[in-house]
Amino acid sequence: MKAFVTGSGKFLPERIVSNEEIAERLGLSPEQIFKSSGIRRRRWAESGTTTSALAAEALRLALEDARLLAEDMDYLLFGTMTPDRFIPGSSPSVQKALGLREIPCLDIRATCCNALYGLQVAKALVTSGAARRVAVCLAEIQSAWLDLSPQSGTISMLFGDGAASLIVSDEAADGALEIMDVHLATDGSYVDDLGVRCPGTQFGAKGVDAESANSADYLARMNGQSVILQASRKIVAASQRVLERNSLAAADVRWMVPHQANANLLAQVARGLRFPTDKDGVVSVLEDTGNTSSASMGIALDTLRRSGRIQSGDYLLLPAFGAGFTWGAGLCRASV
Amino acid sequence: MALPQGIIDFLNESARSNGAEQPGTTDDLFQMGALDSFALVDFVTVLEQETGISVPDGDVNPANFQSIEQIERYVESKR
Repeated sequence: MKAFVTGSGKFLPERIVSNEEIAERLGLSPEQIFKSSGIRRRRWAESGTTTSALAAEALRLALEDARLLAEDMDYLLFGTMTPDRFIPGSSPSVQKALGLREIPCLDIRATCCNALYGLQVAKALVTSGAARRVAVCLAEIQSAWLDLSPQSGTISMLFGDGAASLIVSDEAADGALEIMDVHLATDGSYVDDLGVRCPGTQFGAKGVDAESANSADYLARMNGQSVILQASRKIVAASQRVLERNSLAAADVRWMVPHQANANLLAQVARGLRFPTDKDGVVSVLEDTGNTSSASMGIALDTLRRSGRIQSGDYLLLPAFGAGFTWGAGLCRASV
Repeated sequence: MALPQGIIDFLNESARSNGAEQPGTTDDLFQMGALDSFALVDFVTVLEQETGISVPDGDVNPANFQSIEQIERYVESKR
């Protein structure tokens, strides 16, 4: 049995936030932000918007694209690092918002690899017969957590809000992508190099207090050098592995749809894979959306699908790297 | 142990493209502009190709590649 992506949708908040708007507060110049990230603008949700609300809008569009109804869904997966609330997960809120049946709803916390984990789990559910149609929601509202001061400038400049949803089904349809393979890996020795420590049992579960010694533990932390060095190598190795085990080479891939982390990192990965860059094959939405973490790969994939540029038989490589560190690569083929 | 010329050429070219002087044996390659995080990834690939050693991901940090002298020591330790 096979599994296919038969629908996709994306939803971005209306408010556009340019580098010019935030640069001064972050102690940077607009051009510095662009040069070091490839980002010119991002979308930030209005205060009070929930992550599940963005996800529900994207899922509505994905269902429309797949020509399915909410009641057709057998399983809901929701990948986010910025949930509506600490407990429970955000997937029940999407289930309620769209009126899905009383199906299993599972949140995934694999950071910027959430799309890959979602695809791997969805494929397993579909090919095992546990579900026929799986909704994979991917969404973030990161603006609510950002520290807009120079001490966090190089982190806060990166992140945007947005959502994407994918429908994974056991039946191919027009524009379907067969999920051929997903390879994922993790090395927990880097757990402190990227992420947010609190609230949690290791560093404190109480509410944030600006006067307390651990207030920084509630903010995003990133060892940029470690992220770049490890991501550059691990993404390339994971991509090579998934290609090799499917008897393919980078030259066989028409589209690379990576997690949209940073333009310089994407260029480094393309170079490392010797991926041809002369055919617009690297799909990037980074300039306009910023890094939307869990949602970024889905937003890029939906943008590519809706551009009408995918041809039957095209191979798509989907590499990602995120906090954990966890990383991997997926492989899809346009089946129709 | 002298490093293969391909490695020195890479560092010289990387320094040149960043407007820096050719690095000496003990110069800090990161401070002088011959290497940065992205260039280090490419550098390690060249190092592996030119010397035949394998650099584990955990070793890819500036501390191991701060100067030509340190790189020589690192390569020696891996042989």
